[in-house]
Amino acid sequence: MFNIPKEKEVPLGCITPAPVTEQPMMITGNWREYRPVIDQEKCNLCMNCIVYCPDACWQLNEAEDEVVWNAKYCKGCLICVNECTTEALSKVYELDFADGVVRLEKPF
Amino acid sequence: MAKEMVLSGCAASAQAAKYAKVDVVCSYPIRPYTALMMELAKMVANGELDAEFIHGEGEHAQLSVVLGAAAAGARVLTGSSGVGVTYAFETYSPIAGGRVPVQMMIADRALDPPGDFGSEHTDAMSCRDQGWIMGWAENPQEAFDNCLINYRIGEDHRVLLPQFVCQDGYFVSHIPGKVVLPEQSQVDEFLPPYKLPHPLDPKHPVSHGPQIRPDQGTIMDLQRAQAMLDAPAVIKEAIEDFNRIFGRKYSPFVEEYMTEDAEMALFIMGAHTMTARHAVKHLRSKGVKIGLVKLRFVRPWPTQEVAEALSKFKAVGVIETSTSYGGAMRGGNLLHEVRASLYDLPQRPLTTSFMAGLGGEMVPLKEFYYMADILSKMIKDGKAKKTVYWVGFEAEA
Repeated sequence: MFNIPKEKEVPLGCITPAPVTEQPMMITGNWREYRPVIDQEKCNLCMNCIVYCPDACWQLNEAEDEVVWNAKYCKGCLICVNECTTEALSKVYELDFADGVVRLEKPF
Repeated sequence: MAKEMVLSGCAASAQAAKYAKVDVVCSYPIRPYTALMMELAKMVANGELDAEFIHGEGEHAQLSVVLGAAAAGARVLTGSSGVGVTYAFETYSPIAGGRVPVQMMIADRALDPPGDFGSEHTDAMSCRDQGWIMGWAENPQEAFDNCLINYRIGEDHRVLLPQFVCQDGYFVSHIPGKVVLPEQSQVDEFLPPYKLPHPLDPKHPVSHGPQIRPDQGTIMDLQRAQAMLDAPAVIKEAIEDFNRIFGRKYSPFVEEYMTEDAEMALFIMGAHTMTARHAVKHLRSKGVKIGLVKLRFVRPWPTQEVAEALSKFKAVGVIETSTSYGGAMRGGNLLHEVRASLYDLPQRPLTTSFMAGLGGEMVPLKEFYYMADILSKMIKDGKAKKTVYWVGFEAEA
């Protein structure tokens, strides 16, 4: 018999519940080298980023009338930056966080 | 009523699949296993078998089709031979890791180059470490039985692993032998309906085969390793039930022949066991104290059973029908496992291996007599001169 710590448990065959809006078992945000950063002043809500993101990491916050970015799952492909019509999106090197490198609750 | 028929290994496997009421079959032609699909296609066309028969565009597709079907709750059968087996290699690990118990019939064929139709275990043996249950049949009857037995083992919720159900190409797949076809009620008693604990089901949606984090990788590997550790108990149960219901006398892992008071033994699996048994019988009549141990499962490898069976001999010759180029024993794959099984014994038999039956060659009686001579010499000298003999090609005897 083996001792597997609770926080490391994996379901049989890694078969996970679906559909879910976020899969906490596979966080891909730590794959990024660059991240997209939005300048809300320039954004005209054309929604290209929402349409083009392969991982649904841009969503519309209707209450605030702005697009919001999901840091947990954005892999940094930068398709959104390419497709942005108003140059509201730019790429920023991932390590340039003001408060250092803090992205995952559970780094490996 | 149970009836007896004369069937090839491929036809016997097809019959077994019919009794197991497979739901989905996926084919792609490569000989010699193709005869299995010809039989199954005929059964579906004649309305004898109610199954989806899908023709894949290659072996990789074949395995992907049955993976999807089995994940959705269908009992499936696919199969291949030789380079077809290795073409699908990528799919073997995810199927086992996803714990989807598909069954694949392999009728062995030598791998290229440049193309050899003959039987050799190397195709299937190359895939042995992916987490599939695996074993060889000696004759069409055993091919029939192993199909049912493997469904039962693989689908057991304590195991949930796919199965390679192997038979030597031509020697078993195409040479007809007597096969007892049971009553459907016997099969139904032995083999419960297919049921996955985690099927693809619109009412309870789940996601199969997601990407995982590196720190989850070890645990996934551990799950598969644990399933292999749990499998032997399930195999024993299944064989016991099979023997009771079908009146057979299989022992789960190793079968012994004329081993009482034997000083030496041949260790073998698959079709050539039949010839080896005749050789042993003949040698016994000449006063040679030789026996035979036949292996029924390669995965999970029955470490303890092999050690127990072989510990009583002075010398053991392992017949290798697969290659492991550059391996520790310089020959095939089985001697590695046999020696590892024997390592912890206080008194180990002398062991060596014989490369025989490669590329589809027959292993005639005289080759087994040659092996017995080598084993006798080993006993006399008190040591094994070499770890491998290429039978028929050694410069000195």
